[in-house]
Amino acid sequence: MNTYRIYTGLSMILRMLFRRRIALILLAVIPAIFLSVVEFTSSEHILPFRLASLEDEVFVGIIERGISLIFLAVASAGFLVSYLALTLIQKNSEVNRRLVICGYHPIELLISILLSLILMISLIGIYVGLLTNLFFPIKHLPAFIIGLVLIGFVYGCYGLAVGSIIKGELEGILLIVLLANIDAGWLQNPLFYAEAQNQVIIQYLPAYFPSQASIISAFTDYSVCQASLYSLLYGSIFLLLSTVIFFYKMRIKK
Amino acid sequence: MIIKVENIAKSFRKKIVLRDVNFNMEKGSLCGIVGENGTGKSTILRIIVGECKADSGNVYVDGKLGYCPQNTLLFSQLTVDEHFHYFSAAYGIGKDELYDHCEELMIHFNYKQFKNEKIANLSGGTKQKLNLSIALISQPDLLILDEPYNGFDWDTYLMFWDYTARLQEKGCAILVVTHMLSEKERFDRIYNLENGYLV
Repeated sequence: MNTYRIYTGLSMILRMLFRRRIALILLAVIPAIFLSVVEFTSSEHILPFRLASLEDEVFVGIIERGISLIFLAVASAGFLVSYLALTLIQKNSEVNRRLVICGYHPIELLISILLSLILMISLIGIYVGLLTNLFFPIKHLPAFIIGLVLIGFVYGCYGLAVGSIIKGELEGILLIVLLANIDAGWLQNPLFYAEAQNQVIIQYLPAYFPSQASIISAFTDYSVCQASLYSLLYGSIFLLLSTVIFFYKMRIKK
Repeated sequence: MIIKVENIAKSFRKKIVLRDVNFNMEKGSLCGIVGENGTGKSTILRIIVGECKADSGNVYVDGKLGYCPQNTLLFSQLTVDEHFHYFSAAYGIGKDELYDHCEELMIHFNYKQFKNEKIANLSGGTKQKLNLSIALISQPDLLILDEPYNGFDWDTYLMFWDYTARLQEKGCAILVVTHMLSEKERFDRIYNLENGYLV
């Protein structure tokens, strides 16, 4: 493992990323549009729901706009990071292969990609967290941002796994849209979840723990440690999967 | 001997592409592999560099390897200079050494004026010059070139042969794969790939 190669890879990936100005603008605009639409369309009715991941039966009553803002902040952060991760690993896969032939170790390249992704996850998490706070006062903003970073980590690692397995860009996007829409964009909505049948299925989906961490920190004083740990565990499984596949595909075959 | 290829066979599903391919090359030699489109020329090279695994057989390479793929494999958002920097990290080349090699290559192939230009803004010929240069910056002992002069104008084509002659003098063995071979006298040996056999 050569740290100079990892540093060079990281530096080059970030340069490529920050030169795609329209993509960066969209990363900033999309959450703002999502949250603005919620702001203008949702009501002020107070809706009670249960915080699913807590052991005690805790019910909270929050206005519909607040719940929807938090839910869509989580969904948009997850979707954006997932797509970003897919692009990072898939877009230059043939040139990356050439780098491996020239001497890079596949894991050095993957670490460079992962470090770039972690930086982008942090930036997106902070941005979406601060933006959400403008629309609705978050009770524990730092913990809420951590929740957004965790959804970014879980969905980012999912994007890496999809990008490692799937060669085609469209197929990769469709796989991300499929899971992000069903999971982060629908089933994790606390209002839907509270009355859902077979809740155990929802609990095993990737966005469950990060969503819970974000919701708990946004509305209550309860600890988010358990939800955060499970989020890290979930993301790590995707990360391990993508590492194995990336290494298998990129290695020199002799 | 710089490279020895022994009994290489390769199939893609039911289609047999290579059957019992054997050849070797000495230091400073120039060999060509010709054949029609789709006969498996690039597959031989991909097996030698490790991009693809043979079904059977062995490849022995003694020394540093430089590979110029058929397609210009470059990062569209990076500049020419950044490519040299990135690939030099892969090869493990120091900064001073890199600077000398890059300057020499950019001057020889006449594209130094594009040093800070993004690849997305370059012409096809200039991209191919950089594609070739990346294979050359490590000063390889064995240079493997897949259709290396695609998109070159006549002057660049001559520059290419001038540069390969200099490499040969330094002891570098060069393997060129192409579908059209015009200057046969430059080659020490030319193989024709037919029905999976090297003739």
